[in-house]
Amino acid sequence: MININTQEALFNQIGNALPKKIVVYSIGGTAMMLRGLKGETLDIDLVFDKESDRELFIKTLVSLGFKKDEKRVIETYGLKKNAPAMLRLESGDFIFDLFLNKIIISVFSDGMKKRAAQTHEFGGNLVIRVADPSDILIMKSVTGRAKDNEDIISVINNNKLNWDIILEEAKEQVKLGNEHAILGLGEKLEKLINQKIIFIPKPVTDALWNLFKEQVKNKSKKSKEKTFEKKKR
Amino acid sequence: MRYEKYEHIVQAIEGTRTIDDIQEKLKINRAKAIYLLHRLRRLGYIRTKYLPNKKRVYSVSPLNKQKGISYLEAFNNNMPNAGFRISDKEDYFVHGKTIKAEDLLVYALKKGTIRYVISSLFLFRKIEDWPYLYRLSKKENLTRQISALYEVARLFIKKVRKMPKRFRRLTIPKKEDKYLFVIKGFSSDDFKDTEKKWKVYIPLNRADLEEIRLL
Repeated sequence: MININTQEALFNQIGNALPKKIVVYSIGGTAMMLRGLKGETLDIDLVFDKESDRELFIKTLVSLGFKKDEKRVIETYGLKKNAPAMLRLESGDFIFDLFLNKIIISVFSDGMKKRAAQTHEFGGNLVIRVADPSDILIMKSVTGRAKDNEDIISVINNNKLNWDIILEEAKEQVKLGNEHAILGLGEKLEKLINQKIIFIPKPVTDALWNLFKEQVKNKSKKSKEKTFEKKKR
Repeated sequence: MRYEKYEHIVQAIEGTRTIDDIQEKLKINRAKAIYLLHRLRRLGYIRTKYLPNKKRVYSVSPLNKQKGISYLEAFNNNMPNAGFRISDKEDYFVHGKTIKAEDLLVYALKKGTIRYVISSLFLFRKIEDWPYLYRLSKKENLTRQISALYEVARLFIKKVRKMPKRFRRLTIPKKEDKYLFVIKGFSSDDFKDTEKKWKVYIPLNRADLEEIRLL
């Protein structure tokens, strides 16, 4: 685990060691810490726009004593596409997860980048833009990990979320290929509503299920078209 | 664990508060409020500021745990009194280095509002690194605007240091240069000479600055 002060000191060290200014996006626990929603995290999740920036960041981490942990990548993500580069200190009990635009099945869309308005500059050369709480919620809801529930509850209970943005982004995620976005979000929210841990306006959950129905309808239409074309051939 | 215990209290009283606000918000007595502030300060959630009447005001935020500072907070720290501090939403934080007055001046002019421009005049008292200011302002195409506002600041604010000749020489407009705005669409009725000299429309009149002269 890394706490807020150690994380700040580490980012400052990295910012001072980087040879040029780079902009990265923070998601997950790191984003929540920078927004003051969480005290500590196990993974420092960062998303990069360009492979060259990620390479430079990795080089800098290596120069500070971090080592790539390929074994952990396979243990955590298997052979999934878009798995992050993972680096850790031999003595440290936290790990860097460095993604490139895609976070396993979620896509860090242009809308998400635009909404990441809160910016933190560390040591001069490391600029971290923090994902919006609505986007943290969407990404956390598709992971299927139980430990993310706590974070989802914290995001919902401590922020005034704009549900229109969340619904739009879920739709956008499906368009970009993350087919679980709407279902994952709906399922997770319903579970927590049933446990009476969170409150979400009914029109939001209704809209979510309508979106899901629409997605299913479109999918069956497409598959019918495909089979028809196959038969035709 | 300790963090979680106080997390909800911090969320409930987040913002700028006096002790009375905290008592009222949490429905507790003064002694309990003082103890709570003591605990929260130890955990790093509290930053204390003083009003001109020496009354204490507490900034309560989970972000206070980090040592980083936002541009707006740094800007307000450089203001002589509460009247010139700005209340705005700020999303840019700097960690591991101090924000210089030179950075703040360029930041304020980029904001492009009257409140920021008036308050920014006080920053000329703190400018030490003129070459750095030149490099910064050149990047943002604000060199002439800074020289013009400096002249206005010299007229109204005490203890403004002299601008180096080199800065003045480098920022003086050329014949072919066009007039620039500090704030689009705003010009001055009173500072016509300065406007002409620097080819910059100044968005202020004498009346806007009378309050400053007293400080």
